[in-house]
Amino acid sequence: MPTGVTNSLTAAGHKATSSQRQKARGEKDFEPRILAFCCNWCSYAGADLAGTSRRQMPPNVRIIRVNCTGRVDPSFILDALNQGADGVLISGCHPGDCHYTSGNLKMKSRFALLQKVLEEAGFEPERIHLQWASAAEGDVFTEGITSMVERIKALGPNPARKD
Amino acid sequence: MTKRIAMAQLTSCWGCDQSLLDLHLGLLEVLPELEIVFWPAVVDFKIKDLESMPDESIHIGLVEGSCRTEDDVRLLNLMRAKSKILVAWGVCSCYGGIQGLANQWELDELVDRKFMKADTVTDPRIPSENVPAFVPQVRPNVDVVKFNILLPGCPPTSKNIVEALAAILTGKPFDLPEKSVCDQCPKVKQDKHITKFHRSHEGRIDPSKCLLDQGYLCLGFATIGFCGAICPTVNSPCKGCFGPVLRVKDHGAKIVSALGAIAEMEPEQLKDSFPDPIGSFYFTDYAASYLSRMRDKARSKKK
Repeated sequence: MPTGVTNSLTAAGHKATSSQRQKARGEKDFEPRILAFCCNWCSYAGADLAGTSRRQMPPNVRIIRVNCTGRVDPSFILDALNQGADGVLISGCHPGDCHYTSGNLKMKSRFALLQKVLEEAGFEPERIHLQWASAAEGDVFTEGITSMVERIKALGPNPARKD
Repeated sequence: MTKRIAMAQLTSCWGCDQSLLDLHLGLLEVLPELEIVFWPAVVDFKIKDLESMPDESIHIGLVEGSCRTEDDVRLLNLMRAKSKILVAWGVCSCYGGIQGLANQWELDELVDRKFMKADTVTDPRIPSENVPAFVPQVRPNVDVVKFNILLPGCPPTSKNIVEALAAILTGKPFDLPEKSVCDQCPKVKQDKHITKFHRSHEGRIDPSKCLLDQGYLCLGFATIGFCGAICPTVNSPCKGCFGPVLRVKDHGAKIVSALGAIAEMEPEQLKDSFPDPIGSFYFTDYAASYLSRMRDKARSKKK
């Protein structure tokens, strides 16, 4: 994550002044940095649809496109959190709709275990979230992003995040 | 010319020394090549003996154990300064070892549990005299000083140790294998259809078939093939004690990845199969995991 870029964006998407940037570090005006893994076949197209339909959503999420949520190794998620992401969202096809038949179901199993590992390690399991959004569901994707941002805002910054 | 060798012990069980001594008569082949200059496990060397040696005067330095106390950190830095070739001897030295699992808790909780609340304690008090101070977390030694050779294992087998020493003595490169424990395991592997995980004492093991296929949590698939698959060969599931396969950055995450893909069960059922996932998936390398590093960062930020 290029910190220069991520730090200078506020919720409104404008360049932040240095005082605003200072402020954003405080818990009160906390703007989370969230990483989203979106599968190529459903959620990435869904995100695209949300964009072309001009749906409004908070700009706290950076998307990485993957071929399938089944390609998302749990170490990618932990690596992101270790690098300071406040939350990680994984968005894929609905069960039964996977382009590769069952990649999303594998992710679902991994996700359940990973949440438990995260909780045992002393971190909030809600920092990671798994959602399904198809290519036709720009609204579901928007809703997912919005609620993810709200959820992470309530949790506060990642305790391992560098200021 | 004989090579000067030093063997230093940080916080550990000293099992790596046992493994070296298990060479028995085989030691006779190696010993004439070596001059032991520091080995407190066997002879009463003091730290001042090591301090008095010139820098880089030791050809081979073996460091066993991880840093749980400030004295450990001091000894580790001293060994680095005095040794030409520094070897991380055993999985504690490479990845933090079992004591790395303690990174799940804060130091005061650990001290309280160990000295005040342990069932066997009759006179609860926290020792404060003539003992070195604890460090807040176990960090892998490779994060503290630079090592030349990693020799994982809990302990590394006698064969591993002698091979590494032979390579160093003859000036040959010593590389860890690329393979996993499964590659070394003689059991017949089939398509996996795991519908339930068993504890190792439950059920009857078919000695000819892969333990994982039979529903036992055998971690050979994610663990470096350096031991010769000694445990699964005798029907004891691999606990992953030699650490991850080369280039795997997080042992437990890789195990979670594989289990999610091969278990034919509902996610909730899979989750409930492992009451202590960190203990099961990061047996000897939790200190080197992303999660432990995150906790470390959070800890130093709090201060």
